[in-house]
Order: sequence, then structure tokens, then C-alpha cells
Amino acid sequence: MDSPTISTENLTRRFGNLVAVEDVNLRVAPGQFFGFLGPNGAGKSTTIKMLTGLLAPTSGRIQILGLDLATHMVEVKRQIGVVPEGMALFGRLTGSEYLNFVGRMYGLDRDTAAKRTAELLAFMQLTDQPKALVTDYSHGMQKKLALAAAVIHGPKVLFLDEPFEGVDAIAAGTLKTMLQRMIARGATVFLTSHVLEIVERLCTHVGIIHRGRLVAQGSVEELRAGVGARAADLPFVPGSSGEKLTLEQIFLLTVGGSRSEGQELSWLG
Amino acid sequence: MTPDALTAASQSRQQLAAVAGLRWHVFVNSLRTFRGRVELASRIFISLAFLAGGIGGAIGWGGAAWFLILQGNVEWLGALLWPVFLFWQLFPLTATAFTQNAESSNLLRFPLSYRSYFLIRLAYGSLDPATAVAGLWLLGIDIGIGVARPSVFPWATIVLLTFAFVNIVLARMLFVWLERWLAQRRTREILGILFFLFILSFQLIGPLIAVYEHRSIPETRIMGQKVSAAQRPLPPGLAAAAIAGTIENRPGSSVVPFVLLASYGTAFLWLLNFRLHAEYGGASFSESAGRRTQPSGLPVLRPGWHLPGVPGPVVAVFEKELRYLSRSGPMLFTLIVPLFMLAIFRSSGKNEGLLARAPNLTFPLGAAYSLLLLTNLSYNNFGADGGGTQFFFASPVRFRQIVMGKNLAHATVFALEVLLVWMGTCLLYRPPSLSVTMATLAGILFVVPIDLAAGNLFSLYSPSRIEAGVFGRQRASLTTVLASFGVRGTLFAVGALMLWLSRAYENSWVELLVLWLPAGFAFTVYAFALNRVDEIALDHRENLISNLGRRE
Repeated sequence: MDSPTISTENLTRRFGNLVAVEDVNLRVAPGQFFGFLGPNGAGKSTTIKMLTGLLAPTSGRIQILGLDLATHMVEVKRQIGVVPEGMALFGRLTGSEYLNFVGRMYGLDRDTAAKRTAELLAFMQLTDQPKALVTDYSHGMQKKLALAAAVIHGPKVLFLDEPFEGVDAIAAGTLKTMLQRMIARGATVFLTSHVLEIVERLCTHVGIIHRGRLVAQGSVEELRAGVGARAADLPFVPGSSGEKLTLEQIFLLTVGGSRSEGQELSWLG
Repeated sequence: MTPDALTAASQSRQQLAAVAGLRWHVFVNSLRTFRGRVELASRIFISLAFLAGGIGGAIGWGGAAWFLILQGNVEWLGALLWPVFLFWQLFPLTATAFTQNAESSNLLRFPLSYRSYFLIRLAYGSLDPATAVAGLWLLGIDIGIGVARPSVFPWATIVLLTFAFVNIVLARMLFVWLERWLAQRRTREILGILFFLFILSFQLIGPLIAVYEHRSIPETRIMGQKVSAAQRPLPPGLAAAAIAGTIENRPGSSVVPFVLLASYGTAFLWLLNFRLHAEYGGASFSESAGRRTQPSGLPVLRPGWHLPGVPGPVVAVFEKELRYLSRSGPMLFTLIVPLFMLAIFRSSGKNEGLLARAPNLTFPLGAAYSLLLLTNLSYNNFGADGGGTQFFFASPVRFRQIVMGKNLAHATVFALEVLLVWMGTCLLYRPPSLSVTMATLAGILFVVPIDLAAGNLFSLYSPSRIEAGVFGRQRASLTTVLASFGVRGTLFAVGALMLWLSRAYENSWVELLVLWLPAGFAFTVYAFALNRVDEIALDHRENLISNLGRRE
């Protein structure tokens, strides 16, 4: 394996008595499309925040592109793009003003920022309301704009927290095209998503976090092989009859499945 | 009991109770954090200050009412009610640091009846310092009247309660309509033009006063009677007339003004209802009325701003800040308030009032007031960025550059404001002397860097999300507001000392040292604080992101 693009050593984050992330050791190789999965509250967003410098780890070490994040934060940030939870947009700018602003914050000169802004707006099909403020964009438009902002400086690593949440099929198609182009150019993409079908289609490698601990990591095939033996014992898993396990089934087997099966709500019957 | 089983009235009561409970839980939960407890302490301190002002005013106003009635000058009751009226309506606009409208649009997703929605909006907005203080003043007037003429007390209470109702409804009505007008560029421009026409109209006051000040006493009295007649059909005049009529045993003279006063209340209520009903129905106004056009390939290239010698990221933040400001009607409105206040003071007469007696103070006082109005901006740097603050932490730019861009924008706005105040002083009073102008500028160079440095620190330690486009929701945390007053009180005191010293020693070298050395010191303080910003921002990033990212 090449020197990893993203690596963590015993990454831990506590909030008071709550251990949100515990001893996570991630390895993401260059050019990988890495899906980071986990149930709600498992620690996905906390991990991605730590990887992008938005949150300080309680202990452990993070290396991005071979640089220690704690000591080379600005150098690392210069080479990564981020779509954080909540998208971090500036609502009272127009889309074009926002991208120009982001470009210049990443050190692009005025003309380059303007040129890339125009290209990105056209690629993302955000050109039909040039005077609209970001706050008045639809959710899908905001997601596209956030992704455009994350790539305007040509990052080597892209961190995306739930990029497909609330996005329609057309916008999702645009986002996927852009991400695949980035992978083709040698970039590394690290994304969290609840939409397992998309992760399965896009990602070459997957990590699963559960209750703050990294419980599985590897290519989809490796994970499939890892849970295959257990799947054979379970009657509801198609893998037991020789079918290929889906990522959703791998995920459910890894994290223990639904806990509310068999329960009923008194007023819904 | 299911919702179906509830009657409309009881459901409405239950919803109001739920909203009150929500506010209570938000308050109690806020006390879990250290910041929340400090905020509560600030709130208590500020409330005590307002209470002192309210009680002091109530005693003064009550004594005045008692005296006027005993002296038989009941026609002067209007002179007591007008300041109350002006304070009630102008204070929320001129002191936005103490005024906050709760976010109630979120309530619309619940099955809330319009009646409940209306009551909640009315109640939320009414619980502000202006209502509390002016309410105490009215109580003082009522007691003063009651002591002087016990038989009039019940009627005076009814009239003053109605007057209070008119004020509450008018203030709410002005807020919701201003919010609506300031939300869109076109109406904002029309409002701006009207405002400047209003300012220019104050130019007529000088010639008018000049005409009347040399006239004989009877002519001046005639003028006074005209003014008195002009104010009579307005709410303070009507309330005064309604009380005066009863004191003078002229029931007819008190009923008609009272009915007219109540009519004002009804009219304001109708206008408020009209706007709130539209909001309840989903009407929402924003800046985005941009015309839809067909996609036409690559959009036009528009490079960002360029400032020679200033790093790109600093210019980018500077540009972003000014764009934000230019799109925030309420903030723009706040920025023209100093001119408004100059005009108000001017209207008190050429030879009356502090500013008329000491015109050299007009420019420094106007500049100081302008700085106070920047509190919500400079002491809560990241408030309007909301969730966008995350981007600053994700970007490869040092926080000191981000803060410098913001400071540059705020200093530019302040410089523009000072220029406007200087022009207003020249137009409405007289041009300040060169020495006063220079001393004020030197004072500004001393005060502003330290003020910005303090603002930067408070912005990081005590951030508060604000809604730049919504009237009454631009307030920094009360702790910050209070701290800013402390910092500025000290700075202004030193500035005043500088002014006094420069006047006392008429030696140009002493003056130079006294005026400009502190400015050099202030810039050193600013640079020192700026160097600490990166470290503080990193230490407080979680607090900043979580406080600014969430909507309440």
C-alpha cells in the first residue's frame, strides 16, 4: 500500500464523559473513493470534523498527505476541500460572489477565481438565477454550490459530510460526475453518507464506525468476505443462498441491525 | 385526551402555554453553561439599570404631573406624554443592542391558529426594555395625577392604559412593516430617499426658529399655540386632552379625544394584523427577486475587489463583509441613526440643549454615538456569518487575516459614518473648528484600534448568531453589550481627558503629543491582540461553530 493520504493513530474525542470517537486508526490510500459509514450518532461527523481541523482531537494523531495536521494545519487545509455538515455557506452572497470569495481565500488570484467560478457555476447548472442569494437557493442548489466551493482550488483530498442528503436525482448525478472526475485525476475522496446504494456504487473502499469505534475497514469485497461467514447463519440474508451481499446487508451485519424490530407504537397500531 | 377532543380555545391556550414553556426551558437549559450564567448576570445587571431609569423617571414624571395639575396647567400634560411616546417608539430603533425579536416564523409549522400566532408575536415583541421603562413612567404619571386629583385616577388609568396599548401596537406595527420594507432593495431605496428628505426637512427648522426667536412674546405664544394645536390630534396630545377634559369637568372634551386615541390603537392594530396575517399565510420577502434568465453557457466573469498592498484573503473578507452589510436593511437603518439623532437634537431649537449650547461637542459626541451603534458588528464579528463560520476554520487562511478583513470593513463603515456626522454637524449646526476636528480624529485613532481589538476578543469568546436581514435580531450577547459599554466608557473617558489636555495646554507640541501618542499606543495594543487571535480562535473553534451554526 502506498503511503496513505489520510491516516489516523488512536484518534479519540471525548465530550465530557461521552466518548464520541475512540482509538480510530484509519488508512485511506491515494486515489481511493472512501465511504465512511455508521449509524446515527456513531461518530462519523465528529471524525470528519477532526480530519478537517474543525474539531480538536482529545488524543491521537492525524496525518493528511503525509503532514501532521496538528503542526501543519494551514498547509494541509490548502490541499484539501471540505463540504462540512451544514455546508458552511454565506447566505447573503450570490453564488458567484461566494465562489469568488472562497477562491480568493484559498489563494487564487482574482482572474483565476473569477474564471473558475464561471466554469463551476455552468458545470453545476447554477447560472439561471445569477442575482439570487445563496439563502434563497433550494437545498439541492446549496449542496451543489458547497461542492463547487470545495473543489475550486483543485484539492488533492476531498472531505464530504453527507453530500447526497436531500439532493434530487439530477443534482446527485451532477455531484457524482464531478466526484468521479476528481478520482480519475488522482484525488482522494472521503465521504460519509446514509445512502448506502450510492456509497456502494461510488466507493472502492469503506470504513464502518459504530459507537465511536472503527469496526470494519477495507474494500467492499474484503468487507463482504469478512461478514460472509456470519451471513450464512442468518436466514434473512440472501447471502446464505449464494447471492452477493449488498453493502446495506454488510453494514447491518456489522453494526448489529435494527433494534426496534418487533416493537409497536401504541397509537399507530 | 387527543387533539381532536380539544376545543379551539383550549388548544390555543395549550399552544400559548407550550410556547411559554419552551422559552422557559430554553432559558433554564442556557444556565447549564458558564456562558449562559454570565449572560444571566449581565441580563440582571442591565435590567436593574433599566429599572433604576424607569423608577427614577416615574418619580420625576409623577412629580411633574402632580405639580402641573396643582398649578392648573393641565394643558401641559401633553408635554409629559410626548417624551414617553418618543422614547417608546425610538428607543428600540436607536438602541438595537437591547432589543431582540424572538424567531417566531418557526411556529408556523405547527397547527397554530392565527389568533395564537398574533398573540405570540405581540407578546414577544412587547417584552422589551422600552415597554418596561415607559410603562413605569406612565405609572408614575398616573400616580401623580391620582395624588393631585383622586377622583380622576380611574379615568386617567383607563386613558393611560389605552395610550400604552397604542404605543405597544404602534411599535410592533413599525417593526413588522420596516422589516418588510427593508427586506427588498426597491422598497429599501424608497425608504432611504424618504429618510433623507426627512433629514433635509430639518433644514427648515433653523430658518423657522430664526423667524420666531426675535418676535415678541405674544407672537411666540401664538406659535406655541399652533404647535400645541398640531400635536393635539396625535396620540400623546389626545391622551393628555382626554385626562385634561375630566380634570376640568368637561366630559365631552375627554370622551372625544379618548375615542380618537382608541381609534389610533385600532388602526395600528389593523395594520399590524394585515402584515402578520400575510406572514401567517406564508408571505415572505427576500432579496432574491432576481429575474429568471435562461442558462447561457458560462456566466460573465466578475473578478473580486482589489486593494493595492492588501493580501487577497483580507480583501476577500472585506468585500464579503461590505456585501453583507449592503444587503442588511436593518443594519443600514442602524447606521443612519446618528444623523437622525443629530436632526432630532437640532429640532429642539437653536439656543436650547447641550449641542446647541456647546456646538463644538456635536462632532465628537456624534462620532462616539456612531461607534456605539457598531457594537453589534464589531463586538460580534462572526454573528452574521452563522454556519458559514465553519468555512473560516476549514480554509487555509489564518484567523488574524479574517479578523483584519472584518476590522477593515467595520473601520471603513465607521469612517463613512464619521464623515456623515461631520457633514451633518456642518449642515445642522456649524462646522466644527479645525482643532476640534483634529482632536476628534486623534481620539478616534486612539479609541477605534483598542475598541476593535476588544471586539475581536469578545467575538471569539462570546459569539451570538444574528439574522442580518431581520429587524430586531442583530443583537450581540448581553454580556458582550455590557462589556463593550465598559470598554468604551473607559476609552471615552481617556479620549475626553485627551481633548481637555489639548485645550488646556495651548502649546502645539504638547497638543501633538497628547493627541497622537495614545493613537500610537492603541495601534500597538491592536497588533498585540491580533497576534493572539489565531490561538484563541483555535481554542474556541467548537464554541464558535456550535453557537453560530445553530438556529434558535
